[in-house]
Amino acid sequence: MNPPNAETASNLITLLASFMLVLQLLLAVQTMLVTNIRLFALQSLLLAGIAAVVGYAYGAWHVYVFAALTLIGKVFFLPWLLERLVRQIEIEQEVRPLVNMPASMLICGALTVLAYVVARPITSLERLGSNTLAVALALLLTSFFLMINRRKAITQVLALLTVENGVMLAAIALTTYGMPLVVELGIFFDVMVAVMVLGILVYRIRESFASMDTSKLNQLKG
Amino acid sequence: MPLLALLILVPAAAGLACLLARSLRSLAALGVLAFSATLGLGIALVRQVLALGVVTEWHGFLCADALSAWMVLLISVVSLASAIYAVGYLRRDLADGAVTERRFREFYVLTPLFGASMFLVVLVNNLGIMWFAVEATALSSVLLVALYNRRTSLEAAWKYIILGSLGLALALMATVFVYAAACKNNTEPPPSFNWSYLMGVAGQLDPRLLKLAFVFALIGYGTKAGLAPMHTWLPDAHSEAPSPTSAMLSGVSLKIALYALLRFHILTTACLGTAYSAHLLLGFGLLSMCVAAPFILVQTNLKRLFAYSSLEHIGIICVGVGLSAPLAVFGAVLHIGYHALAKATIFFAAGNIHQKCHSLELRSLAGLLKTMPATSALLVLAVIAIAGLPPFGLFLTEFGIVAGGMGAGQILASVLFVAALAAVFSGLLIHVAHLLLGTAKKEAAGPQTPVSCVAAMALLMAVLAVFSVWLPAPLLELLRRAAGIIRGSP
Repeated sequence: MNPPNAETASNLITLLASFMLVLQLLLAVQTMLVTNIRLFALQSLLLAGIAAVVGYAYGAWHVYVFAALTLIGKVFFLPWLLERLVRQIEIEQEVRPLVNMPASMLICGALTVLAYVVARPITSLERLGSNTLAVALALLLTSFFLMINRRKAITQVLALLTVENGVMLAAIALTTYGMPLVVELGIFFDVMVAVMVLGILVYRIRESFASMDTSKLNQLKG
Repeated sequence: MPLLALLILVPAAAGLACLLARSLRSLAALGVLAFSATLGLGIALVRQVLALGVVTEWHGFLCADALSAWMVLLISVVSLASAIYAVGYLRRDLADGAVTERRFREFYVLTPLFGASMFLVVLVNNLGIMWFAVEATALSSVLLVALYNRRTSLEAAWKYIILGSLGLALALMATVFVYAAACKNNTEPPPSFNWSYLMGVAGQLDPRLLKLAFVFALIGYGTKAGLAPMHTWLPDAHSEAPSPTSAMLSGVSLKIALYALLRFHILTTACLGTAYSAHLLLGFGLLSMCVAAPFILVQTNLKRLFAYSSLEHIGIICVGVGLSAPLAVFGAVLHIGYHALAKATIFFAAGNIHQKCHSLELRSLAGLLKTMPATSALLVLAVIAIAGLPPFGLFLTEFGIVAGGMGAGQILASVLFVAALAAVFSGLLIHVAHLLLGTAKKEAAGPQTPVSCVAAMALLMAVLAVFSVWLPAPLLELLRRAAGIIRGSP
């Protein structure tokens, strides 16, 4: 039972998903924190866009709710919250990532290829083109890399949020109607609270270490 | 009476009431009251589950079977003991200036919420909401880990929340995969996303997606349950948290995450047969035990020593479930309970020692049997229990797991299991003998340990001792059914 405009929708979704991946790669090489936060907001906007397209093409009204929640939470509220935090703690730039920029780009490229290989056996199960699930896995893997590569607490929070974007993209790709509404609401609430708690911790770490460099959190061993 | 709803709402309401309460005394009273109430409700729930089999509420949104009822009972007992313990412990921390009044209030607001979210995990029927609740246990406990605001506790809290959230993101992926597996061939969403519904249609789920889902759940919920090699946050968080929180984290919170993983195991077993998920659990369980043993042998910090012992015991439980012999699974289910009681007692003792001697370094502690006899005596008993010596029940359950494994022909796994147990046994006894005997380095300066701090320990040890030698018939029946649920025979 495919709607008549399913093919257009599928192309549009593939396009938006690939833009999400491009933004993820930019995130992996960009060191200005505020720019990183805006890149994340843009990526979330694309996710909301994908959800809206799916909602329209398949007539699933509750995917619109998911799109709206993403728009409110991840495009406006969380970026605003994180930017405020960056201004408060007066640290603007990531210094010395573990791996330099060209190498990070290469690693992310390799991870993307890996995601496509891993996703191949199950792409037949998804209903939106054949790329979306692979993109979702690529988002997951590159976010893990981002988290290992960066030392600033805020960037690690952003990496966590992009993992979440990847999971939600997979949810839409695999089912075309996302998760049940009550679950969507629960996830939304959890992500908001998680970022607030992380914000409190970043603030307290900054206060007592005079830094938010997580490589200084190294006293507990053995 | 809506038992299940009350079990979640009572502690949640207590947490909110603590937000408004003025006097510090009423905060402590509210905590104890709330968890006394949940213990009463938990016992009532056990009776109902035994009578009806499955209790559901709110049109099946909440649902309790024997396994959930068993977990509810454990959460209630450990949380109640922890609330009693906290009365004296936190008052003294406040007097010593270890916590500010604001942090003191924070503790009493967050602890009941932590408890409520644990109840929600075991009582909710929907997979997505279960994920939400597990994440809520992490979020409500992370600021408790950071309560002392020392550099090390902030470090521990950061590792806990980052690793925990990352793990839970993977667990969410597992949830998504199960949902996708449930709506395989039709374009309509499945009628419900409840465990009870999925178990009924387990045979029609897509096996490829379910396999993927179990792996993601194993890594995801396994991180929160502290399975090696995703355990690195565990010793930090459990050693830096205030002792009442350490007891709840080690005693029940790890098992709550394990419960979520077990539900995935049960579903995967119903669809694919035992071999797939049981073998993975067995492997990760043995790995956890083998990783824990060397860290226990060379440990220098008292609380980290027992945190690693929790890692070992989570491994034991996973091995028991993974062996999937009837005796081993029964042993594992019972082991969850015995370990919760003994480990909470031990963390209470560690808290008393910390407040008296202002140190947790094993080098600088010795001869405690003379300076703090009551705490030491109870600590010895609890350590004997977790080391797996008779007469305590943990000997019985560990023996049951080995016997079940041998009987099922898993000789290699059983031998590894016993070897790891032996290493941990010697490590624990060496450290504790040194701690209690030896000659005291200096006269401990701190005042006497508050009554509530010893009372909570004595309470738990009494429960452990009684239930080690005598399991009442209803409890035994509950455990049998819980083990039956895990083995896939309702």
